Amino acid sequence: MSEYLYVGKSTPRTIETDKVTGRAVYISDLRRPGMLFGKILYSRYAHAKIKGIDTSKAEKLQGVRAVLTGRDIPEVRVGFLKDQTVLKKDVVRQFRDEVAAVAATSPEIAEEALGLIEVEYEELPAVFDPIEAMKEDAPLVHEIDARGRPVRSNILPLPWKFSAGDIEQGRKDSAYIAKDNVRTTWVNQCCMGTSGCVAEFDMNNNLTLYSQTNVPFLGKQRIVEYLRNIGLKGSRVRVVNPIVGGSFGTKLDTDIYEFIAVQLALRTRKPVKILFTREEEFRALPPRQPAIFEIEQGCDKEGKLTFRKVEAILDNGAYTSWGATTPSVMMMPISSLYRVPNVSFNATCVYTNNIYCQAMRGYGNPQATFAVETSMDSLAEEAGIDPAELRLINCNKPGELTPMRLKITTCPLDRCIKTVQEKINWKEKRGKRNGRGIGMASLIHVAGGARVYKSDGHGIMVKVDQNGNVDVLESGTDQGQGSPTVISQMVAEALGFRPEDVSITLGDTALCLWDAGTHASRHTFMAGNAAIRACDKAKKQILEMAVEHMPEIVEYKLKRKERKDPDFQMPDLDYSLISEPDKLDIKDRYIFPKNQPEHPYFRMEVSEVLTRGLHVGTGESKVVVGEAFYDPPTEMLDREMKGNYSCTYAFGTTAVEVEVDRETGEVKILNLFAAHDVGRAMNPTLVKGQIYGAAYMGVGYGLTEQLQLRNGRVMNPNFRDYKMLTAKDVVPVVPLVIEEPDADGPFGAKGIGEPGLVPTAPAIANAIYDAIGVRITDLPITAEKVLVALKKKAGEQS
Amino acid sequence: MIDYEYKIPADLHEVFTLLKEYGEKATLVAGGTDVMVKIRNTRKAPEVLISLRRLEDLRYIRKNGGYRIGGLTTHRMLELSNLVRTELSALHDAASQVGSVQVRNVATLGGNICNAAPSADTAAPLLVLDAAVVLEGPGGRRRVPIAEFFKGTYRTVKEPDEVLIEFDIPEKMGAFGSAYWKHSRRKAMELPLIGIAVSVKLSEANEIEDSRIALTVAAPTPIRAYLAEDFLRGKPFTDQVLKEAGEIASSSECCTLRTSLRCEAWYREDMIKIFVPRMAKLAAERIKSR
Ligand SMILES: Cc1cc2nc3c(=O)[nH]c(=O)nc-3n(C[C@H](O)[C@H](O)[C@H](O)COP(=O)(O)OP(=O)(O)OC[C@H]3O[C@@H](n4cnc5c(N)ncnc54)[C@H](O)[C@@H]3O)c2cc1C
Repeated sequence: MSEYLYVGKSTPRTIETDKVTGRAVYISDLRRPGMLFGKILYSRYAHAKIKGIDTSKAEKLQGVRAVLTGRDIPEVRVGFLKDQTVLKKDVVRQFRDEVAAVAATSPEIAEEALGLIEVEYEELPAVFDPIEAMKEDAPLVHEIDARGRPVRSNILPLPWKFSAGDIEQGRKDSAYIAKDNVRTTWVNQCCMGTSGCVAEFDMNNNLTLYSQTNVPFLGKQRIVEYLRNIGLKGSRVRVVNPIVGGSFGTKLDTDIYEFIAVQLALRTRKPVKILFTREEEFRALPPRQPAIFEIEQGCDKEGKLTFRKVEAILDNGAYTSWGATTPSVMMMPISSLYRVPNVSFNATCVYTNNIYCQAMRGYGNPQATFAVETSMDSLAEEAGIDPAELRLINCNKPGELTPMRLKITTCPLDRCIKTVQEKINWKEKRGKRNGRGIGMASLIHVAGGARVYKSDGHGIMVKVDQNGNVDVLESGTDQGQGSPTVISQMVAEALGFRPEDVSITLGDTALCLWDAGTHASRHTFMAGNAAIRACDKAKKQILEMAVEHMPEIVEYKLKRKERKDPDFQMPDLDYSLISEPDKLDIKDRYIFPKNQPEHPYFRMEVSEVLTRGLHVGTGESKVVVGEAFYDPPTEMLDREMKGNYSCTYAFGTTAVEVEVDRETGEVKILNLFAAHDVGRAMNPTLVKGQIYGAAYMGVGYGLTEQLQLRNGRVMNPNFRDYKMLTAKDVVPVVPLVIEEPDADGPFGAKGIGEPGLVPTAPAIANAIYDAIGVRITDLPITAEKVLVALKKKAGEQS
Repeated sequence: MIDYEYKIPADLHEVFTLLKEYGEKATLVAGGTDVMVKIRNTRKAPEVLISLRRLEDLRYIRKNGGYRIGGLTTHRMLELSNLVRTELSALHDAASQVGSVQVRNVATLGGNICNAAPSADTAAPLLVLDAAVVLEGPGGRRRVPIAEFFKGTYRTVKEPDEVLIEFDIPEKMGAFGSAYWKHSRRKAMELPLIGIAVSVKLSEANEIEDSRIALTVAAPTPIRAYLAEDFLRGKPFTDQVLKEAGEIASSSECCTLRTSLRCEAWYREDMIKIFVPRMAKLAAERIKSR
C-alpha cells in the first residue's frame, strides 16, 4: 500500500484547532448586523383544535419585532408527504407542533413574549400506539391528505412491500425455524451543537440561509419551492453552512424552524436567528424512527438459510419526514445480510400523535439489523449450530447478486467474522452461561453512495494558484466527521501536491457544484471519485503549462548562473525529456520528467511553472482549474423495491463480551471488537474515530438511551434523564480495520460513517443471551428488563 | 428576564449583615450547582444572591479526635482526601461520584445537604456516620444531628439566616467501616436511582456490634433504616442476616418507594435488598484492610 504518499496516512485534522480553541464559528456564534432572535411556541396538547390565539400582549412587549401565527402566513404545506404546514392554524397533532413564533431583539425577550401568547385549545382524542392507531375506530391524526382528499385511516399511503423467491417453499425447505418479536424505540441524535439557523433577505428578496443542513442543494430547493409557493417567485436562495456541531441524520430534512426563521426574516426585514435549547433539541427534533418487527427465518439441516420474513410497523408520529423512508434501508439487511434465497418484507407506517421521526446514523439499518441478527442467534440455537458458524455458512461473497439485486463487489465479511472470533476468543468463551457471555452481529451497508434521488451526484472544483496552493470547492458538508482532512489527502494524492497545500471550502450553494448530500456514508467515496476526476483535469493543465514554459524557465536559470559564475559550463540538456505532458509527472509539489525524476534541472517546484503560466505577457496566460461531477453507475429501486442503489457495500462484524449481574440486571461490557471493511482506510485515525464513536452510540442504543414519551410528551428532555453515555462510561472498544481495496472506491475506499453503530446493539443482546440465557429483543436493554426476564425464566423453571 | 444582584461578602460577619439587610429576598449560594440550575429551570431568580465563595476558611477536612469538615468543602476535596477515603469511606464513595469533576470542583458538601434533595448523594453517608450539622446564625451556633436536619423534600430545619458552618463526625465512627452505593445507569452526571449507605462495627466474634443503614430516593428525604439497624444489632455477620436486613430496609416500614419516570418502585426495592448486604460486606472488608 506504499504506492501512495498521502492517502492511508493519519494526517491530523485540519480545522480542529479552531474548534478546540473556540475560534470556529458555529451557528450559536454567528451574528449578523441588526440580527433578531426567533423563538417558537409549541403546542400544549398532543391533539387539539386551536380555537383562538391572542398575540396582542406579546406584540406590545418592548423589543418584540414580530409575532406570527398560522393566520399570518400563507398556508403552504411542506415536508416529505406535504402533510404539515409551517405554523399550525387549526389543529395541533403533536406536542412539538409549532403554533406561533416571535422575533425580538434578544432571545430572552422572545422567550418572554412566548409566555404572553394566549392560545385556546379544544382537546381532541389522540392515539399514541401505532397498533391502536391502525384500528378502524382509532382517532384520525389527519382528516385530509395533501391534496385535500378525506383520509380514512392512519396508515400512510406509503406501503413498503418487498418480496423475492417463495417464502412458502423456503418454509418447506426448512429444518429449523425461529420466530421473534423485536422492538426498538426513539433515540435522540444528541448533537453537541444544538439546531439553529440564520435567515437573511436582501432588499431584492434574495435569501441567504445560514443552515446546518447536510443537503445544501436539496435544502435550497425546498426553500426555493417554499418561497415560490408563498408568492416570492423570483427570489434567489443561497444556503451556507456554518461550522456544524454534529448531525447524525438531524440535518437531512429541512426542519420547520428553518421555514419559521425565513418567515420571521421576511416579516421583519432583518436577519433572524433561531437557536434551539437542549430541551427543544429533545422535544422538537425528529428522533430515530422506532420500529416493531415480527421476524421469522429458517435454515435447512446444514444451516443454509431458507427464508426470511419480516413484518414491521413504524410509528410515524404526526407528520412525515425521513423516518418513514427508513424501510428502504431496512430492506438491505433484511434481504441481503447473509445469503437467503426467499425474502419477504412488509413495513407499515402509521400516523400517531407522537413525535415524528427522521434519519439517524444507519437510517433504519440499526433497527432492522437488530431484528435480523438477534433472530440469527435464535435460529442458531434452534438448529444447534454455533452462531458464528451459522453466519459463516451463509456469508455473503464477492460477485453475488442479492435478492434485492444488490451487486456485491468486494466483500471480506468472512474475514470480519473470523477476525473478531479470534480476538474475543470465541471457542473458549462461548456457551458458559456463567454470567459472562459473548455474542456477535454483522452488517451490510451502502458504501458507494445511495441512489435515493435520480441524481446521486457530487461535484468538486479544484483550482491551483501561482503559489501552488490548492483551493477545493467541495459540494458536501462537514458535520465533524473530518471530511476536509480526508479530501485534502485525496486531492494532494491525485494532484501530486501535499495535503497542507490544499484548503477546502464546503457547504455553500453559491460556490460549490451540486451534491445529493452528505449522508449515507457517501462523502469520502463521492468526493474522492470526483476529486480524482477533477484533479486529473487540473493536473493535465499544469503539465501542459510545464511543457510550454519549463524550457524557458530552465534556460533563464542557466543563463543567470552563467552570468554569476564565469566557470559555469552550460550543460547539454535533452529537452525531449519534457516535451510532452505524458512524459512529466507531479509528486509532492514537484514536477519532474518520468524518466529521470531526480533530474538536476528539470525537477522544479510546481509554483514556478504556475507563476510563469499565469503571467505570460502575450495574451496566452492561463489559470488552472478542474471540475468534476461524479454520479456513480447505480440504480434507483424499481417498483419491486429492487436495484443496485450503491456502487459498493460495506460489511463488518462486532463481537462483544459482557458480564451480567444477575441480581441487579446490570450489563457491563468487558470487550468490544469491531471489524470493519473499509476498502482502504484513507486516514486510519479518522476511520477509527468513526468506528469508536459509532460503537459507543451503539452501546447507548443497546443499553441506555431512550426518549421517554408519555401520551406523546417527551418526558426526559435533558441529559440528566436521557442516558447518553459519558466519557466515564467508555468501554474498551477495539476497532479492527479490514482493508480490501475496492475497485470503484477512490484509492480503494468505502464509506464508514454509519456502519460501526449498526451491529453493536444486537451483538450485545446476543452476548447477554450467552451469559444468562435470556433473550431481550426490546431496546434499550435496561437492568429492569434483564431482571424481569431472569425472574420469568426462574419462575418457568421452578 | 432572569436578573439578580450578586454579592460576594468577604467574611461570615458580612454574610450575616447582608442576610439581615435582604432577609427573604436573598439566597445563599456556595458552588451554585443547585441554585443556578433551579434559576434556569424555573426562570425565576431571587432578588439577591449572596455568594459564600470567599469564605475559604470554611473549606477544610480535619481530624482532631472527631472529624470536622467545613461547610464549604467541595466534593473534589473529599474525593482527593486520603483521610476521607480510609476512615469515612462511605462519604468518599458518594463525594467522588457527584456529577463530574467539573461539578465536584465547585459543588460543596454544605450545598448538597442544605439543598435537601431526596437524592442527595452525600446525605446517606453523613447519616451512617452520625454527622452533626453545625449552623450559625445571628443568635449564635447550634448543632443538629443530621438525622433531624431534613424536614421534607428540599426542606430543612435550617433558618434562612443561618449558615451551615461544619459537619462533625464523632470519633467513635472511626472504628466503623462504611460504604455507599449509588445505583445508577451511567458512571457520571447521574442522580442515584436509589442510594444505599451502610456503616458497621464488628466484634471480635464477628458479630455486628453496631451499624447504620441510610437510603436516598427511598422517601421524601434521605432516611435511616432504623428497623434494619435494630435487627442487626448483636447478630452474627452472615449472608442470611444481611439478607434479612436488606428485606427489612426495603420494606414499607422503612421506606416509601415510588415509581417515577426514572425507575420503578419494585426495582428500587430489589436494589435495596441487594445492596444492603453488599455494602455491609464492603464496609466490613474496609475495616479489615485498614
Ligand atoms: C451537572 C450536575 C450534576 C450533579 N450531580 C449530582 C450528583 O451526582 N449527586 C448529588 O447529590 N447532587 C448532584 N448535583 C447537585 C449539586 O451539585 C449538589 O447538590 C451540590 O452538592 C450542591 O452544592 P453547591 O455548593 O453547588 O450548592 P448551591 O447550589 O450553592 O446551594 C444549594 C442550596 O444550599 C444552600 N447553601 C449552600 N451552602 C450553604 C451554606 N454553607 N449554608 C447555608 N446554606 C447553604 C443554598 O442557599 C441553596 O439553597 C448535580 C448538579 C449538577 C448541576
